[in-house]
Amino acid sequence: MAQVWVGAENIDIVSLEKNTAGPEHGAICTFIGRTRNLSRGRAVLYLEYQAYSPMAEKQMLKIAEDAECRWGSRISIHHRFGKVEVEEASIVIVAAAPHRSEAFEACRYCIDAVKENVPIWKREVCEDGSYWIEGEESLPSGRD
Amino acid sequence: MSDISPAPDSSRAFSSDTYSDIDVDAIPRLIGAHMPTSGGLKTSLINGKAIGCTAVQLFTASPRQWRHTPPGEEDIAAFLAARAETGIGFLVSHDSYLINLAAPSPDVLERSTGAFRAELDRAEVLGISWVVTHMGAHLDKGEEEAMNRLVESLKAVLEDTDRAGYKVGIALETTAGQGTGLGWRFEQLGYILNGVGEHPRLGVCMDTCHVFAAGYDLRSEVSYKHTFDLFDSQIGLSKLKVLHCNDSKKPLGSRVDRHEHIGEGEIGLETFARLMTDPALLSVPAILETPDSETMHPVNLRRLQLMALGKIPEITVDVLLFGHYSDIFGEESIKVTLPVGSRVKNLAHLLSEKDQRLSGISTNCRFAMNDEYVDLDTHLKEGSIVAATPPVSGG
Repeated sequence: MAQVWVGAENIDIVSLEKNTAGPEHGAICTFIGRTRNLSRGRAVLYLEYQAYSPMAEKQMLKIAEDAECRWGSRISIHHRFGKVEVEEASIVIVAAAPHRSEAFEACRYCIDAVKENVPIWKREVCEDGSYWIEGEESLPSGRD
Repeated sequence: MSDISPAPDSSRAFSSDTYSDIDVDAIPRLIGAHMPTSGGLKTSLINGKAIGCTAVQLFTASPRQWRHTPPGEEDIAAFLAARAETGIGFLVSHDSYLINLAAPSPDVLERSTGAFRAELDRAEVLGISWVVTHMGAHLDKGEEEAMNRLVESLKAVLEDTDRAGYKVGIALETTAGQGTGLGWRFEQLGYILNGVGEHPRLGVCMDTCHVFAAGYDLRSEVSYKHTFDLFDSQIGLSKLKVLHCNDSKKPLGSRVDRHEHIGEGEIGLETFARLMTDPALLSVPAILETPDSETMHPVNLRRLQLMALGKIPEITVDVLLFGHYSDIFGEESIKVTLPVGSRVKNLAHLLSEKDQRLSGISTNCRFAMNDEYVDLDTHLKEGSIVAATPPVSGG
């Protein structure tokens, strides 16, 4: 059973891996998306994520169930909203499968699909102000 | 806080609240709906009055059974009392769907004739003005013969009821042309009326959804005029006694009968605005037969009433804005009012005109409803929650 979650708290990666995989899984592929300190030449202080939570969870569940079905895997996808500090994880995807190739492929599929379809947006908070990231675009925000 | 969850939509029931802003007496025509009779015949009138009906259609018996218990004396007395109390003077009943007054089988024809006469008897007692009936079906046993049988059935029942001094009339309903059903071409209705001969208690009920599905367009000023000109030349506008106002889920000429809420279907709001204000039709009572009566009759009725008063009925939707758009109005949803029947693309256009900073929204954003991305042609409904989502950047 795929499990998804959108919330403000830190993601406990070790527990997530443990809760996702079962004895039949010989491979776990975990993707961690983290806040980096530099973006488009600007020093990033932290990220502020905005989520349309009910829809985001529904879309994430669709992606996870799709991946489970296609690669015979078990998938968990957790995404944060609100403030995410540099080096903290904003998203964690755990793909557990009998063998490594299915785990890798399912995990890759999930992160690509999340970036395409899940209604979550990030605002990069830098020293000179903050910027909404919308696809390839970076748009100055009036917020702090 | 960056988690945006919409509030649940509140549901409606039969209640007069919806009507506080409309003076029913100021509407220059009768408008009503087919009202359920569960809880006794009188409930159709009481609930009809509560939502603002000035005309009511009802089933006087179960429409899908041959055998039924006729309404008892108490039921009839309560109905007549409710009629006096509510002041709803124009009543229509719809006969059973099983009745086929053109049936090729003598057995079915006899049953149909009996059941139809029983319907007229009930209607007469209840003070109903018109019994709406479908013209039956030829069942691939010859269309002309079937129509001749219908003429004979009607002649006989009109003569019988003339002798009994009945006031209730028979309104033949235009149909969508499903299967071998008769009455989807105006010529067929004209043929029947001619065959029976002029009779003040024989008329026609036009159903907007049915005629549209049968291939008569009503959407533009020109096609509307053309359809009513045809009706007048082949049937006679003076024969039009009841107007069933239903939008259509199915396209023009589909010959499939699926009713839709006013303004939300293939016919569209403009046609109903034209119908409601057409001086030639003001004396013809309009009856809704749209789905979800309990929740939607008040809404559809109000739409027709507003249009009869020359106003455009509107819906209000909640728009959620994300990404840099959320800087403009904050993270609360904004309310946008549009004409009934508007689509997502109309909303996008309106938003882009509302504020210069939203000018790119129709090209830049994907729109979502009920947690799914939707097409720009998707219809909006009252209370729809629409999310305008710029390119996402999660992960």
